[in-house]
Amino acid sequence: MRNIKNQKFVIALMLVALVSSMAFGQGGMAPQAPSTKGTVVKGKAPVNKTVLRVKLPKAEEASLPNGLRVILLHDAKVPTFNMQIVVLTGGLADRADYHGLASFTAALLREGTTKRSSKEIAEQTDALGTTLAANSGLSSLTSTVTTSGLVENIDQTLDIFADVVRNPSFPQSEVDKYKARTLSQLQFQRSIPQFLALEAFNKAIYGTHPAALVIPPVDSLKKLSSKDLAEFHSTYYRPNNAILAVVGDVTMKDLMPKVQKAFGDWQKADIPAVTIPQAPDPAGSMIYLVDRPGSVQTVLQLGTLGIERTSPDYFAVLLADRVLGGGPSGRLFLNLREDKGYTYGAYSNFGSSKYRGTWTASSEVRTEVTDGAMKEFKYELTRLGTEKVSVDELENAKRAIIGGFALSLEQPGSLLQNIITQKLYNLPADYWDTYPQKVSAITADDVQRVAQKYIDMKHLQVVAVGDASKTREILSKYGTVQVYDAEGKQIGSPSDNR
Amino acid sequence: MRRVSKFLSLLSICALGVVVVHAQAARNVRVDFKETTLKNGLRVITVEDHSAPVIAVSVTYNVGSRNERQGRTGFAHLFEHMMFKGSENVGSGEHFLLVFNNGGNMNGTTNEDRTNYFEVLPANQLDLALFLEADRMRSLAITKDNLDNQRNAVQEERRLGVDNQAYGKSGEVQQELIYDNFAYKHTTIGSMDDLNAASVEDVAAFFKMYYAPNNATLVVVGDFKTADAIAKVRSNFETIARQPDPPPVDMTEPQQKAERRASVDDVLARAIRVDLAYKAVPGNSADFYALQVLSNALQSGQSSRLYQKLVKEKEMATNVGGFMDEKRGVGALYTNVQLRPNVKTEDVETLVYAEIDRLKKEPIADWELQKSKNTTRRNFINGLSSSISRAITLGQYTVYYNEPSLINNRLEKVAAVTKEDVQRVANKYLVDTNRTVVVTIPKAKARPTTGTSGQ
Repeated sequence: MRNIKNQKFVIALMLVALVSSMAFGQGGMAPQAPSTKGTVVKGKAPVNKTVLRVKLPKAEEASLPNGLRVILLHDAKVPTFNMQIVVLTGGLADRADYHGLASFTAALLREGTTKRSSKEIAEQTDALGTTLAANSGLSSLTSTVTTSGLVENIDQTLDIFADVVRNPSFPQSEVDKYKARTLSQLQFQRSIPQFLALEAFNKAIYGTHPAALVIPPVDSLKKLSSKDLAEFHSTYYRPNNAILAVVGDVTMKDLMPKVQKAFGDWQKADIPAVTIPQAPDPAGSMIYLVDRPGSVQTVLQLGTLGIERTSPDYFAVLLADRVLGGGPSGRLFLNLREDKGYTYGAYSNFGSSKYRGTWTASSEVRTEVTDGAMKEFKYELTRLGTEKVSVDELENAKRAIIGGFALSLEQPGSLLQNIITQKLYNLPADYWDTYPQKVSAITADDVQRVAQKYIDMKHLQVVAVGDASKTREILSKYGTVQVYDAEGKQIGSPSDNR
Repeated sequence: MRRVSKFLSLLSICALGVVVVHAQAARNVRVDFKETTLKNGLRVITVEDHSAPVIAVSVTYNVGSRNERQGRTGFAHLFEHMMFKGSENVGSGEHFLLVFNNGGNMNGTTNEDRTNYFEVLPANQLDLALFLEADRMRSLAITKDNLDNQRNAVQEERRLGVDNQAYGKSGEVQQELIYDNFAYKHTTIGSMDDLNAASVEDVAAFFKMYYAPNNATLVVVGDFKTADAIAKVRSNFETIARQPDPPPVDMTEPQQKAERRASVDDVLARAIRVDLAYKAVPGNSADFYALQVLSNALQSGQSSRLYQKLVKEKEMATNVGGFMDEKRGVGALYTNVQLRPNVKTEDVETLVYAEIDRLKKEPIADWELQKSKNTTRRNFINGLSSSISRAITLGQYTVYYNEPSLINNRLEKVAAVTKEDVQRVANKYLVDTNRTVVVTIPKAKARPTTGTSGQ
């Protein structure tokens, strides 16, 4: 795998894109629904019917007088640690004419402090074998600075980490270099079809809401100045607006004096309230075709507006999504790959925040079967609301989720993330401990109800990225098509389809 | 794919290794494993670990795309897909249903040098995991329908990773140019024509020759009693028939005599990219570890020489990256540079070669040596923290090097690398005549810009 270092988003895509030799699961539910075509259940393998219930480890909590909250999940399996400062303000605080400021602020933290130059930060962190990364999404609730390293180097690591979090100087020369570098990176991203699909899809769903943005607008980047970054930083990067979350081979007794030394004299301040914009009402269904000449596949992404993180429908959507396309045992994978051979993979996904997230289904299919894939996507999305999920299919989905908690005990980093989620959304303290019960309580009626409620075909947004000359006419069978180029500029109007 | 992609990072971690050269005491991580060989030749490695209620199983077969013949590129990987299409007691696709629906996770991967299969499950499903692996090793179901279905899936995998991605073809061109011996002179994903040519007879013959117990290593890690686990392994696997050993692969790679160069026109790319490779040495050799340290100083992280020179100081590149590839046969040191607009390829190459010359003339700095060792150590020991990564790593070291204990002494081998070693390997391998250069040039496909572009 030859990856290019890049922003997190690109790396994620590259993992999907560059791996040339992974076989992914087929899966199936044999005897019941039509989704079982091509899958056979012989039922001869020895399965232990008991779902192993596990007790999740408890995090310890402490705080400093300046308001900094500390969460520690002790895990001594290997002598390493990971720590993050979660600043409770992110891209959602950006002004409407300056989207990206939170993201730029995070990205430039490590490009110079009052004590260290950009190069010194790079050399010192790398010499310790430490990672150091900071980011904030354009529509995120938080900004996060993360470091991970060897426990024997924790003091030196913490010294640099605190310096970067507290004392960034945003040197104008580094800001200028960052602008130029980022402008060329944005060009590079436009060559990635999954990026183009996500960009068009989020725009279709969110309109002028910040969640419509996947990358910062070029206008924001161009006007970026050291002064604006410093102002964002000094307003929001404050101990009373942050959580320090740590996981690894360190105890609270050893950690707290170090935290006190690194962050004890960090000054608190009043934090301006940020209004969370609500997602717009769903627009009428539309097909957005992004022309990418030379494509041999069509990247399809279909979906609707979903739920907020604290929605009472959360667990019903979780299970409905699992049944629809949550991995190789989902209906989409079974239908589009195992039965039809259209694709390497087909999945669904939902996101949720303090505003409504999206619920999407996606796949990459060879251009020639764009029509067939569209047909099957529509079939599966519709079927989830019209047909009640079978008892076996629902029980399997529940077992998959609940059983998976045993595996999470080997992933303390994701357990810590769960705890942060609980804090961010003010979920009950026993939220994760009672998660299995909440999953168990969901019924087939619940699944059908949320499918009908959220996967509303009248508001379904469809994005196709591929060769428009070969797919435009096909797609027009499924609705009104608008054609765009890879820069997001409309190059055809719906009437051209006629 | 997103659900299981964590396995990708685990796999890449396996390529690294080191110990600390630091004042403070660094705790080492030791993996206590037990080796057993069954009567049919299956190598079994167990690691008892009660830290989490989880079991992980890996089966690593000593076969990869290096075993493929001309006209059947991509076959080892296509075969891997067939291993999920059913066996005597497991239906087509049932494997995945059984793993995922019991809270587990799984995957299979193929590279040039080996093919592996692995699953991690709650600890009460050890019988299930062993049964699934044994049943397909014993009695794979091979049908034309299943082959055609997976041929389609694999061809989409190729389109996804190669044909529909910017720079997708560049790696393929480069691999075919670097090597002379066919074993590595083709990609694991293979060509569309060769994938089309694969037959059920090919699948059956491949299964018999390579998927025999005497050509595999089974690793079981997790929350069990070793004696119990070995008894279960015996009852599941010991009756599977041994087969004649597969023929050895000739991995001889002739000495390269001159620089090799190719240019790729790419309609999907938007910036020039330069891919360099220096043919070097097999993995787990002293020079390999020295080249890893060298690569780390040259091109890993924002402190690296190439990042500082090309991205920060000269502002000629958007990004640089690279690594020392670990292979059973001869691997190469790779470097890639993504150019900014209006930058000349020659100017970038000149700067990269100047940095390489500096590695030949002067020793690297103390902090750079420390960087490499600390970074490798952190990555390596983090990779040991989960059962599944230990199962994969032990299987890989056994099949690659017949050396499972490498999991416990690899960091010492990296720690032994000196600045002099780095300078020596720079002079020995990073020479012009060992170099292969592929330049990718964006060639936008002509398209009318009017509103009627659709037809």
